Amino acid sequence: MTQTVRRRPAHADRAHPHRSRSKRKRRSAGGVYVLLLTLAVVFVGPILWLLLAALKTREEWVAVPTKVLPEQAQWSNFVHALTDINFPAYAMNSLFLATVYAVLITISSAMVGFGFARLRAPGKRAMFLVLLSTMMLPQVLTLLPTYVLFARLGLVNTYWPWVLWGLAASPFLVFLFRQFFAAIPRELEDAAIIDGCGWGRIFVGIFLPLSRPVLITAFLLSFTWSWGDYIAPALLLDVDHTTLSVAITAWYQDPRGNPLPTVQAAAAALYVVPVMLIFLFAQRYFVRSVVASGVKG
Amino acid sequence: MARRTWSRYPRRTFYLFVGPWVAGFLLLTAAPLVYAFAMSLTNFDGSSPRWRWVGFRNYTELLGDEYAWAALFRTIGYTAIVVPLSVAGALGLAVLLNRRLKAVGLWRTVFYLPSVVPVVATAIMWKLVLNRDAGILNTILEPFGVDAIAWLIDPMAFYALIILTLWGLGGGMVIMLAALQGVPKELEDAARVDGAGRWKAFRHVTIPMISPVLYFQVVTGIIATLQIVVQPMLLTETNSISGVAGVPQSTHLYMVQVWEEFFLGNRFGYGSAMLWVFFVIILAFTLLVQRSSRWWVHYEVNSDADR
Repeated sequence: MTQTVRRRPAHADRAHPHRSRSKRKRRSAGGVYVLLLTLAVVFVGPILWLLLAALKTREEWVAVPTKVLPEQAQWSNFVHALTDINFPAYAMNSLFLATVYAVLITISSAMVGFGFARLRAPGKRAMFLVLLSTMMLPQVLTLLPTYVLFARLGLVNTYWPWVLWGLAASPFLVFLFRQFFAAIPRELEDAAIIDGCGWGRIFVGIFLPLSRPVLITAFLLSFTWSWGDYIAPALLLDVDHTTLSVAITAWYQDPRGNPLPTVQAAAAALYVVPVMLIFLFAQRYFVRSVVASGVKG
Repeated sequence: MARRTWSRYPRRTFYLFVGPWVAGFLLLTAAPLVYAFAMSLTNFDGSSPRWRWVGFRNYTELLGDEYAWAALFRTIGYTAIVVPLSVAGALGLAVLLNRRLKAVGLWRTVFYLPSVVPVVATAIMWKLVLNRDAGILNTILEPFGVDAIAWLIDPMAFYALIILTLWGLGGGMVIMLAALQGVPKELEDAARVDGAGRWKAFRHVTIPMISPVLYFQVVTGIIATLQIVVQPMLLTETNSISGVAGVPQSTHLYMVQVWEEFFLGNRFGYGSAMLWVFFVIILAFTLLVQRSSRWWVHYEVNSDADR
């Protein structure tokens, strides 16, 4: 690649090719929008189809030929979604778990990130390398043995695993916090040390308030992780304690045991609402974290 | 000399701050892995106290387990299709959006949105889209003379799973868009002035500039895709809770097989052996890609340059 970047004095003739190119550009711009629109339909289509299904009667859903739009919006599907199973209770479980987990993991990750960014002690480099490599570690591999361990410790059907996971910090969020804290000027902490502040007060009083955007990012991110998680509640929690993600997958049935796709669609739509709201209103926080994860290479 | 009464960095403070992660790593990552290895040397069934050590018998049995091998090759094939497609697709979308467009933010949101939809909702959605009789995809294909396709059973379930996975490639797109925006415009312009076509400039200037990000995407993509388990479990014709019984043959990936050994076969020892073998395989893959990176990943801080 080196030879192509080599700069030669640019004295290529400009005027003529420029004009023809700009005309071509305008024509291709229209093509780009057509392409984007087509792709957008592919990406949004499934979500729209879910919403349409949630508004159909069962007969309309199975009708041949397929009916794209419902004759009349069946809001009763949403009523069924909320009442056929104990939807509010499962939603509360999801909300409780996600909140506890997100609060704890945000605080613990901020602490650890601060330690790696601002403090020194023997073994720090090695520990940070271990932390980075655990980001690469396949999570699912440890989940099944963790489940067996938790079962032996009597933690199945309790919410303690989420507390433990929350306290343990997330390598990814630690990395996010570390990058942020490392960029804060040293003078701030010098002044505090001269004033006789300990590191605990420096962290809580100076660095935490400064890191509000990262705190929000970490909280929203970990909240949506937990809200969207299926495998941990499926493994660890029973019918009465489980979360929405498990409840909506299988329990919408008529008395004969036939699945109710339209009601399930309504339930799925309700389940996705919080995530969508968080995403739409806080997209910049998501983008920030995704970008931070990608640029480290 | 040793009269250090005050130290700016007391050791204990650092260890207190990083303590939560260290404890978590030891208890929730290292301990389960070690525990799994210990289990893999037993015939533990998950509940009964009457288990005994069987040495490496689980591992030797695994060598001759044709189902495990089939699941492994299926998983590798699935990964070999999904990772290149999603990296290329994400890059393509990023290139499309990395130009003067009206409402760039809106387009980005549209493509990024699916990647934040929880997996459970994604599966329910795609089951509705891919439904043989009522699904929109078959309805769209019908005028083109395509007979109703049974997407959720063999052999099409494999492709259904690929479609579902690719739908979420917007996360990668956002990363690559940021990477593309970090490429100095002058570099590409210089190449164009030198007479390179648009494609050549892209191939020989832009791609090398963002290759570290591409590399990261490939590595994390491989690791994440190899261990996929929830998607095949949920993308099935029948609704069965945390059951792997209904998973079609063609989406019976390695981790699904592990799950089956654990919870249908109650073979915790054997399942743990499968986990450890998979762990080693994933590590090997990661190292392989890392090794290959020196041939195609271009770092701006080039070690050759300071010689």
